[in-house]
This record gives sequence, structure tokens and C-alpha cells, in this order.
Amino acid sequence: MRSMRWLAAVLAAALLAACGGGGDEGGGTDQPTTITVWAMGAEGEKLNTLATEFTRQNPSITVRVTPITWDVAHQKLITSVAGRQTPDVSQLGTTWMAEFAKLGALEEVPDSIKAADFFEGAWNTNVVEGKAIGVPWYVETRVLYYRTDLASKAGAKMPPASWQELQDAATKIKKVTGKYGIGMLPNAAGTWQEFMPFVWQNGGDVVDASGNPTLNSPQVVEALEQYTAFYKQGLAPKNATQGFAVESGFVAGDYGMFFSGPWHVGILNDTGKRIEGKWAIAPMPREQAGTSFVGGSNLVVFNASNNKDAAWKFVEFAARPETQALWYKTVADLPANKAAWDSGELAAQEDLKVFRAQLDDAKSAPSVATWEQFAAKMNDQIERAALGRSTPQEAAAAMQQDAQGLLLQK
Amino acid sequence: MDRQTAGELPLAAPPRVTTATAGARRWRSLREALTGYGFAAPYLLLFTVFLAAPIVASLVISFTDFSLGAIDDPADARFVGLQNYRDLAADEKFRSAAVNTAYFVAAGVPLTMAAGLAAAVGLNSQVVRFRALFRVGYYTPVVMSIVAIAVVWRYLLDVDVGLLNNALEAVGLPRVAWLSTPGLAMPSIILIAVWRNLGFAMVIFLAGLQGIPQETSEAARIDGAGRWQEFRHVTLPLLRPTLAFVAVVTSAGYLQLFEEPFVMTGGGPVDRTISVAMHMYEQGFGFFNLGYAGAIAYVLFVAILVLTVLQLRLFRSAT
Repeated sequence: MRSMRWLAAVLAAALLAACGGGGDEGGGTDQPTTITVWAMGAEGEKLNTLATEFTRQNPSITVRVTPITWDVAHQKLITSVAGRQTPDVSQLGTTWMAEFAKLGALEEVPDSIKAADFFEGAWNTNVVEGKAIGVPWYVETRVLYYRTDLASKAGAKMPPASWQELQDAATKIKKVTGKYGIGMLPNAAGTWQEFMPFVWQNGGDVVDASGNPTLNSPQVVEALEQYTAFYKQGLAPKNATQGFAVESGFVAGDYGMFFSGPWHVGILNDTGKRIEGKWAIAPMPREQAGTSFVGGSNLVVFNASNNKDAAWKFVEFAARPETQALWYKTVADLPANKAAWDSGELAAQEDLKVFRAQLDDAKSAPSVATWEQFAAKMNDQIERAALGRSTPQEAAAAMQQDAQGLLLQK
Repeated sequence: MDRQTAGELPLAAPPRVTTATAGARRWRSLREALTGYGFAAPYLLLFTVFLAAPIVASLVISFTDFSLGAIDDPADARFVGLQNYRDLAADEKFRSAAVNTAYFVAAGVPLTMAAGLAAAVGLNSQVVRFRALFRVGYYTPVVMSIVAIAVVWRYLLDVDVGLLNNALEAVGLPRVAWLSTPGLAMPSIILIAVWRNLGFAMVIFLAGLQGIPQETSEAARIDGAGRWQEFRHVTLPLLRPTLAFVAVVTSAGYLQLFEEPFVMTGGGPVDRTISVAMHMYEQGFGFFNLGYAGAIAYVLFVAILVLTVLQLRLFRSAT
């Protein structure tokens, strides 16, 4: 008897919860509403800070945060679309946008959110077939990290202003370290992100304005020649083991330079006294341009959401300059909203100024649903060329062929 | 299995009732059958829902172009006949994966069996002391998490900070990039797999060795057989069924190579350690080309089936 009553109570509670979670229509401002937000990695862990602030400003909306890890995020999100169990709002990697657009899972961004407020490269990752389907949340871009002590000992001109100066610097630093000049990753999942800046700096690109692949252009071949030269001349280690971080060799003094994003500032600061005050960052070298790669994450609203108004309200809140500045203080993510950089630490700190400048000249991969699939093949070709198993011309031709098969298909 | 579930349990004693009519008997056997199915039902249900249905579904899917676009509405997938299988034949990465997997099986299975047998024979002889200790030592890797093992070995073999390379350097040898030199990556993975799996083979072989009657070995020794002759002509032939079992189970497991390269090399360098199962995972759950991944799964399935049948033939025909 007692257990029956207990069961009845549980059922009633479950029913109430179910009604409370999904039953609200429209999310009128005064009606209590709950929205679910999925976020990955450090963002997922700390998002409650933003959620609390948001609920303080909008007492009728409760935000339920679900942290998910990066390695399962892509699968989990795709499955949630397939099972029609999507959250209201989610963080999405910038290279995933076209895939989710193809699934028809995302809402178009309302006019109240203005493209001009954000970095162009970051905003463009949200535009698929002319429609904006997400809002930049935070950005990252790659810059050159270098050891000031090794560079001055080697007599290298820092920061390098061109490819030639970059290679000279690597050659000189190698003489000092006895091992290598620059740390690179020829066999990582993100190898293409290290390589593409060379293409852009040389005036090349993956596709032209009408979406046709242009990977066998002389600009790409030259970029491959330059990128692979570091390996062929022994300036960069060929056999970086999978899963090993590039900073270990930098800290140990095996090489004096590497390309990476803003997270490495924190990592290098955490390594303690060993290289404290002995490193700096600089913008990308300029060839025809000084373009870098821009990545980061966007916020999207799923069209299966029952609380779209509340969901957009949250996204708008997260993209506001004040919130972005707060978010920088919470997880050190660089703001995608340009106005957030105008005051406080973001405007003053030297390292941040480098990133701020680089963000004005940074590009992303084209928004194509099969991009990740193509990127995996591109990585294979870059690795082959880096290890001398194919010539830059052969690698470029193979990339072009892969691109015609994967990026053109609708 | 059928003995425990169907029939014998509900009947305590054979029926001796002479008055039983044919109808009553039929009723009883029906009831027995129902009871049997009742006991089997939970398993059958789970088997159907979680194994049989997906197995059939993936076969069907392998003949379609099921990919990302069809995820939210499977009706979008179109039948493409054998196209996926034709694409596989032209897929360079699949070819590397097949070659690597074959290499892993061809080298790994005999080595694992030889090492397991050697350990079993050693532990079975009366010479070795601390036998329990050795048995635990050899068997421990089998029960450890394979991912944890792979991560630890990745560190041990690392070119800059790895213990193994530190040891090599200490005795004046050059450091070796075990996992990122194209020719060395797969052999390294094979050796790790042998180390991890020999414990399983050893336990089965130990049981097999203990099943060999003392008299046979004694008779051989009285006839003047040396240790090697006894092993070659008495022990090995009598172990044949055990050898067959270990060969089949190890091969089927090795053909599905996944975790070691996934964690340690990511399939590199230059695709030299990518396995068929990894390629399938990447296509299916990385890119959601589920039709294509289904085709890979069925090619792998047929390979396992053929190899198993061949091995069973081989071990049977020689008797």
C-alpha cells in the first residue's frame, strides 16, 4: 500500500516535470520557461556562470546546461537531430555548420542580431547558402609563438615578416637548439588548419567564388612547397607522435617557434618558471597577405525547440559585448563581438592585441557539409607531401581530385 | 543452452502414468515447449532487438546511399545496388586498411599463439617456481582496459619522453620513433597486442595441457622420446582442438583491430596502421556515411567468416 502511494507520487512528479519541460508554447516573457543548452569542453563546465546571470536578468527563464565532451559532441548532436531530441540551444564547432544546415535542423538568425558586430571570418562560418543560421560565440585564431631567448641567441630577426624570414629564423634557431627550428604537426586532425594559412597568405583558396575547387593552382602548390620545406630541410620534426602536444618541445628547447591559438598562452603560463618571460607571440608572416585561420564556436537554435523566443534571447545575451567580456574573464575565450575588445583587459594586454589584430585578417573553411570528410583527405595529402612520399604538385592534384568528388557533390 | 531452458527443468521425473491419453500428452509437451520459450524469451527479445535487427538493417543499409541527409528521415536514402561495394574496391584508404589488418592478423595470431603456448608449457612443467605469480602476471593485461593500455604504451614508446627510448639512449643506442616511423608503427602495435592477449591463449592452453593424459606422455618417454619429440608428436597433436579454438577466437578478435591504432597512432603515419574497423568507424560515425560503413562491415564480416571456416578445415583435415 505504502509503495503504491510512493509510486503514484513519483508518477505525478514525472508528469508535472514533463509538462513543465516541453509544454510551454512560445515562451512568453512572464510564463516560466526552461531552455536546454548544450556546450562542450571548458565552455560546458563553466556555462552555469552565464546561465545564472541570464536568469537574474530574465527571472522567468531557467537555463538547463548539459556539458558534453568534444570527442562525442558531433555524434551526439547528429543523433539528437535524428531522434528529434535536440536541445533548444547548442554550441557548434565552426566547421560543422553546413552539416546541420543540410539536416535542416537550425533556425535562421533573427534580424536583431547584426553581422557587422562580429569578426567577418567568424560570422562567415555561420552563413550557409546565403542564410545565417548561427551566431559567433567565441573565436580563436592562429599566431606565431616564439622563444625570445633562442631567437636572440640565434640572431634571428623576429617576428618574421615573410616566408623567407620565417625559414631563415627556423634555420638559425635550429643551429642553436641542435634539433629543430619550428614545431609543426604533419599528422594531426588539425593539420589542415596549420596548412591553410600558407595557402591564403599566398593568395590561394580551397574554392573560388562560385564554389569550384582551386586546389591545383600554383598558389597552393607554392604553399605546399613552403610548408613541406620545413620538414625536408629538417627544420621541423617529422615524427610528432599522435596525441602529443606541440608545447613540450617548445618548453624543452627542441625548437623555438610554433603556430597555435590563444589557448597556448594559458598552457605556456602554466608551465611555470622554465620559460617565463622567454617567449612572445607575433602575427602571421606576410606573403601576399598575412591571413590566419579563424575557428571557435557558434551558438545555434534548433528548429525543433518549443521555446524559440527564449532560446534566441539567450543567444542574444551571450553575444552581447558585456557578456562576452564576462565570458572572457570566466574561461578566457576570445570574444567574437568586436565591441567587447574596446575596453578593459581585452583592450590593454599586449598578447591580446596580437590576437585582436590577427582576427581582422583570418579566414575559415568553406561552409560545405562534407568539409570534415574532405579535411581528413587533405590531411592525408599534406602528411604524404611532408614526409616526401609525394611531390607538392602530386599532393595538390590529389587534393583537387578529392575536392571535386566531395565538395561539389550536393 | 537448450537443455537448461527448454524441457527438462519443469519435469522432475519421467512420466509413468499409464492412463495418460494422447491428448494429455500433447498438452504436456505443449506446456513444456511454452515453458521453454518462456525461459528463453528475455534473451530472444534482447537478441532480436539489439543484434538481429541491427544486423539485418545494416545489410539493407549497405545497399543504399544512407548518409547525413537521411539521418532525420531514412526515407531519403535510395537503393544503389552494389555501388558502395564497388566504391570500396576503388577506395585507396580501404585498401591500406585491408592490407594493414591482414598484416596484423597474419603476424599477430601466430605470435600470440606461440607466446601463449610457450607460457602455458612453462607453467605446466614442474620446473618453474612461483607459478601462481607468473600466471597472474601474464593474465593481468587481458583484464585491463585496452584504452588505458594503449595510452600507457603510447607514452612508453614516445620518441622524446618514452621510457623505452630513455633506456636505449642510456646504453648508447639512438632513439627510435616507434609509432611514427611508417615501417615500425604496425610491428610495435603487433607486439603490444601479443603482450596483451597471450594471457588469454595461455589460460586456454593450460586447460588443454592438463587434459592430456599422463599415460600418453609417460608411454612416449618410455619409448625413448626426448622433450622436443614428446612435445611435437604427443602434446601438439593432442592439443589440436585447443589450438583450433584459440586460433579462431584470436583471429576473429584481431580482424576487428581498433583501439590500439585509434588511441596510439590515429591510423598514421601515412595510413600505415589504419584498420578496417577504424575506417568503418570514421565513415560511419565520423562522417555518417552509414551505407558505405555498412558495406565495410559486411566485407569484414565475410572475411572473418571465411577465415574461421578455413581454420576449422585446416585443423580438422590434419587429424
